[in-house]
Amino acid sequence: MVTALQTIEKAEVLKTGAFALISKKLWLSKPAYISAIVLTILYLSAGFADFLAPYSMNFADPDLANAPPSKIHLMIDKGYISGPFVYRMERLFDVDTYKQVYSEKKYARLPVKLFTKGEVYRLFGFIPSDLHLFGVDVPGRIFLLGSDINGRDNFSRLLFGAQKSLTIGFLGLLIMFPVGILYGGIAGFCGGLVDNIMMRVAEAIMSIPGFYLLIALAAILPAGMNSTERFALITVILSFIGWAGLARVIRGMVLTIKQQEFVEAARAVGQSEWKNMIRHVLPQTTSFVIVAATLQVPNFILSESGLSFIGLGIQQPDASWGNMLKAALDNANDLYNQPWLLAPGLLIFLTILCFNTLGDVCRDILDPKSSTV
Amino acid sequence: MSLPVYILRRALQALPLLLVISIMGFIMMRLAPIDPLAYLKANPAISQETIKAEEERLGLNKPPVVQYVLWLGNLLKGDLGISTSGGSVSSLLLQRAGNTLLLSVSTVIFTWLIAIPAGVYAAVYRNTIIDRLLSIFTAIGMSMPTFLLALLLLMLATKTHILPIGGLTSQDFFERNYIGKCFDIIAHLIIPVTVLTLIGLAAIQRQMRASLLDVLQADYVRTARAKGLMENSVIYIHALKTAINPLITLFGFEFADLLSGAALTETVLAYPGLGRLTLEAVQSKDMNLVMASLMLGAIMLITGNLLADILLRFADPRITLE
Amino acid sequence: MKSVSWANKETIEQIRSLLLVFVTIFIVLNACACISIESASGEMHTAVQERTSSATKEQKNLLDNIYKAPYPGDYKLVTIEEGKNLEEVWQARGGVGKAGGVLNVSSFGSGPKTFNCWAASDDQSAGIASLMYESLLDVDPWTAKSYPRLARSFSVSHDHKDYTFTLRKGLLWSDGYPITADDVVYTFGTLIAKGFGNSSARDILTVYGHYPTVEKIDDLTVRFHTEIPFAPFLSSLRMAIAPKHILEPITNKLIAQNKIGEFNNFWDINCNPETIVASGPFKLHRYVPGQRIELVPNPHYSMVDKLGHRLPYLSKFVNLIVPDQNTQLLKFYAGDVDLLDVRTVRGSDAALVKQREAADHFKMYNLGPADGTIFLMFNLCRRKNPKTGKFYVDPIKQKWFNNSYFRQAVTHAVDRKRMVDNILRGVGYELFTAETQASVYFNKQLQPFPRDIEFAKKLLEQGGFHLKDNVLYDSEGNKIEFTLYTNAGNSTRDAVCIIIQNDLKELGIKVNYQPVDFNILVDKASNSLDWEGMVMGLTGSRLEPYDGANVWKANGRLHMFDQRLAINGDKIVVSDARDWEKEIDNCFDKGATTFDLAKRHQYFDRFQQIAYDQQSFIYLFTNLDLSAVRNHIGNYMPTPLGIGSSPRGSMHNIEEIFINDSASEALKK
Repeated sequence: MVTALQTIEKAEVLKTGAFALISKKLWLSKPAYISAIVLTILYLSAGFADFLAPYSMNFADPDLANAPPSKIHLMIDKGYISGPFVYRMERLFDVDTYKQVYSEKKYARLPVKLFTKGEVYRLFGFIPSDLHLFGVDVPGRIFLLGSDINGRDNFSRLLFGAQKSLTIGFLGLLIMFPVGILYGGIAGFCGGLVDNIMMRVAEAIMSIPGFYLLIALAAILPAGMNSTERFALITVILSFIGWAGLARVIRGMVLTIKQQEFVEAARAVGQSEWKNMIRHVLPQTTSFVIVAATLQVPNFILSESGLSFIGLGIQQPDASWGNMLKAALDNANDLYNQPWLLAPGLLIFLTILCFNTLGDVCRDILDPKSSTV
Repeated sequence: MSLPVYILRRALQALPLLLVISIMGFIMMRLAPIDPLAYLKANPAISQETIKAEEERLGLNKPPVVQYVLWLGNLLKGDLGISTSGGSVSSLLLQRAGNTLLLSVSTVIFTWLIAIPAGVYAAVYRNTIIDRLLSIFTAIGMSMPTFLLALLLLMLATKTHILPIGGLTSQDFFERNYIGKCFDIIAHLIIPVTVLTLIGLAAIQRQMRASLLDVLQADYVRTARAKGLMENSVIYIHALKTAINPLITLFGFEFADLLSGAALTETVLAYPGLGRLTLEAVQSKDMNLVMASLMLGAIMLITGNLLADILLRFADPRITLE
Repeated sequence: MKSVSWANKETIEQIRSLLLVFVTIFIVLNACACISIESASGEMHTAVQERTSSATKEQKNLLDNIYKAPYPGDYKLVTIEEGKNLEEVWQARGGVGKAGGVLNVSSFGSGPKTFNCWAASDDQSAGIASLMYESLLDVDPWTAKSYPRLARSFSVSHDHKDYTFTLRKGLLWSDGYPITADDVVYTFGTLIAKGFGNSSARDILTVYGHYPTVEKIDDLTVRFHTEIPFAPFLSSLRMAIAPKHILEPITNKLIAQNKIGEFNNFWDINCNPETIVASGPFKLHRYVPGQRIELVPNPHYSMVDKLGHRLPYLSKFVNLIVPDQNTQLLKFYAGDVDLLDVRTVRGSDAALVKQREAADHFKMYNLGPADGTIFLMFNLCRRKNPKTGKFYVDPIKQKWFNNSYFRQAVTHAVDRKRMVDNILRGVGYELFTAETQASVYFNKQLQPFPRDIEFAKKLLEQGGFHLKDNVLYDSEGNKIEFTLYTNAGNSTRDAVCIIIQNDLKELGIKVNYQPVDFNILVDKASNSLDWEGMVMGLTGSRLEPYDGANVWKANGRLHMFDQRLAINGDKIVVSDARDWEKEIDNCFDKGATTFDLAKRHQYFDRFQQIAYDQQSFIYLFTNLDLSAVRNHIGNYMPTPLGIGSSPRGSMHNIEEIFINDSASEALKK
């Protein structure tokens, strides 16, 4: 770690500043460029979920539960293309085979409309609107990725789930990094007994396998929380797992930095220790923090989905990618015939892939020679 | 410092650490509005007295501090207490830890056996097609959630019926001869080991590649080449020896990752391992079992780190143990 | 934190971007895969396939399709003479099978908690115990009548207070020790009477505070005496008889040390399986924790087939322990297990299993409605918490919940049909009564009703509620809103709550759905009482409605809709029972002391009528019991009444079940 820091110092980082350097160089790398675009699309979709989704998160058509993806028909008639349109689906039950089948009622075509009016919502929580990107008139339904056990649209829920799954990473950073940096900074700066005790506690946390700690913490969440509180507490728990490791690295860096000349100089001028640390020591860790943060976001996303997947994270009726993927596990013996249930998993994968790529490129820019963090 | 003394010292250092972990674990479990006997209470056929007797047996009717002291005392005597699901925690753990260890060790072996040559190959033949394919492969591996991969393989296995799903042994396991038993276990291990290997592979392969590339550009390797040593011996004897050092620190991490990462895989694939046991214990608030597996997990992790440090010393004599 | 850098960025970057593009396209394609293009000629405005069958028709059809195994006749007592030893054995009722062969079954969960039959409190332990132990008598799975098992005969005195059992001659434990009246007296007079193991057994036998006496008349005869005539008593004697020669030294020691609780540690899951002494068809052979249980025949099991061969036929019974039903299905598909028992084939799996029936050579059995129930309830508690002096339930909400119009409106507003259709995919039953259709005491007079939101609104109006702007208010102008709890992580319950939430929205009722941990849920219902609405499930009994006394009597430990708490951990005293609660108590008390079957039916019919009128539990649905068995399993004769704990499940005649090799040979060809 320390060697990495020294390399950074030699580089241009000090001249231009880490953020400026990244914004200058990041776009030169094609994967980073594409990752950034994909992530932007994902985040925008999450932000505009109300508009993009044909239905709201809790909208349910109980007569169309467990429906397969709607078929969108195009009709070519005398060289003209009419459509796209859907048919109303209908569920039939056969007592002898215990089978529910969905068939299309082919007597009324229901065109898929763009910019159609639907359920009322508040965009970003305050702009009232009822405009949806696409939709079909009742009694038709457009379920691009089928519907779940309650007849809720999987596609819409995927978008609303993204709001939770994608933001939890950044919210987690907001908690974990200040705590980790301050904790490590204080330990490193004070040294001696304080350092010793603080580091033993951090080590104890690091010595519990992360996932065990995660589930043990998730299991003690008090009952009777609403979904926002639960979401917030899950975020806190996720940040709890990583901060100790971060603190230890920061401490190591601070220990080195504080022996450097300019810190000594500031001390000689008579700056207080605290000011000294905030002004001179901690800023030196920026490069590392940026890289660590980009690589930490996918970890948060992964942990949240894992936790929700086993039922300890975000819970019904709220949607998150992890708890939506649980439907795939519930249907494990028939997954082959319902591959659309894996869509949340693929989105988790895609998001993590993009974040990992961005993280790697950031590190290459800030720290061309480093190999291990 | 000689090796035994070093190990002893590290073990002694770990003791207060374990104490802190146990206190933290206990506080966490006590914070939960726990009722490990909820399932009994919800059963109309169970009498109040049975519930009381069970509370007594599990020590749930005592204040937390007393419970902790009792627990610690029993632990020092080697008694981990009893599980709410019946039977003693130690025998439950022993069985499951063995299975998880089997899974982890086979995963580690496979990961390293594949990752190191792949990394070396990629570094030596950098920018070739294979190197590029490997890099795509590792990018996928690093970003793939274990539970997704496990689900995908499960889907494949149900469709093809080639590999057994769930458990560690077939129904006729005990009727088979020694070789048959081995093959049966291997067949059951294939899917979980594949999941964990594919995911663990990426980091090590990339590290190996990067680290070897660094060394190959170093001065002394150039000197060795200049002295006319054969290319192969340069790479495999000198460079590799140096390049592998940073990987050894990864070893400790990997050990820990396997314990954690295996839990979800075990759950999805119905593998009777420690991770699944812990998960079930947490969900049913099985106090003694959760505490014991937290402790066991911590011990395995600390041991993993210790092992990594010792290996590092063997790999690089310049590093001293202290 | 681990991460690795790229050394040759330039080239790999390109590949990586390609990869990203590829994955993105893949996902987009995945989303668009549903688009289909048709030509005009293929487009036909076909007539609509109108749904011909109504809800009740589908339900009726499911009921009509219940499998009915032909009645095989009674057991016959035959005598075997081996030298000087005379042994009276039962002759099995089924066809003659073939000895040998392994039966592989599975059960889900974490495995049994104990092998000590008398300490068992969970389903799987009880299931294993039922393979290993016999009781004096059992209930015939076809006729629901009691018939002797270890006994050769029994009689009940005229005043219904004395029960005399005569044991069969020559009965042996699996270790060769004789089974005599001493074992019976020990089991009921010491083991259960003193509260060893699961003391629920003692509660079941205790009649209004009096534990029955049991005395030995001679070596093979015992007599039970109850203070008060008690109708469920005979069926509660269906408890496993314990081997006195093994257990008495242990219990004596524990009594001396005053450590009765430690009996649970004897024959627990860590014991040596070979030490367990059994009287049933099987004995324990091997246990691999969390993975499998193997049982082998008890050589002294006293039943023979029609040709005189000693049963059971199977040479081994292997029970795989798997975490969930999905794995059970996968194992069955893979051919690892021979049978999928009831409770494994959930409604949502039924169609898939059925689809494979012919190709995979097995047969599915529809065994009718299950005995478990799922219901919605409101907290009717009107009392104050003595510790805090505050009401357990907000007084405003108390009024709503105690208003029977409110509960009636809710029961007419919840859509049971959709629950069955969506959650069980049509394979299940709407439920309206406290006893399910599986119970022999099911009250057929109580009519099912379809969802009727207008009727529900009318009921609410009559109850003093009014609707304004789609929000329901009570007479004092309070918005109707309550929190609905259920246990988290259970997809079925989640879905139930969401359907309730949506259905009640149409009445203007706001439901705040809150999944909580099962532990917390139970604590709320049975202890802290701070809940408003809750979705719960309970198991029922097919044969004896009195088993529900714990739930329905006002002082019951699971009288969840208005739970009274025990003071100082003692008896529950009820001071504020409603009239209908008192009447239910009366029905149970009378039902328990009446022996005339028709009259018993009347009492329990009345109880169901009150429950139906009051809707204190708003019953929602029940599952369909389905099992699937490979064709080479012989003598499988499931009946709805013959369903026990897993892994025995629907194999009530396990001793007769055999592996038909010729069938499996044919299958291989």
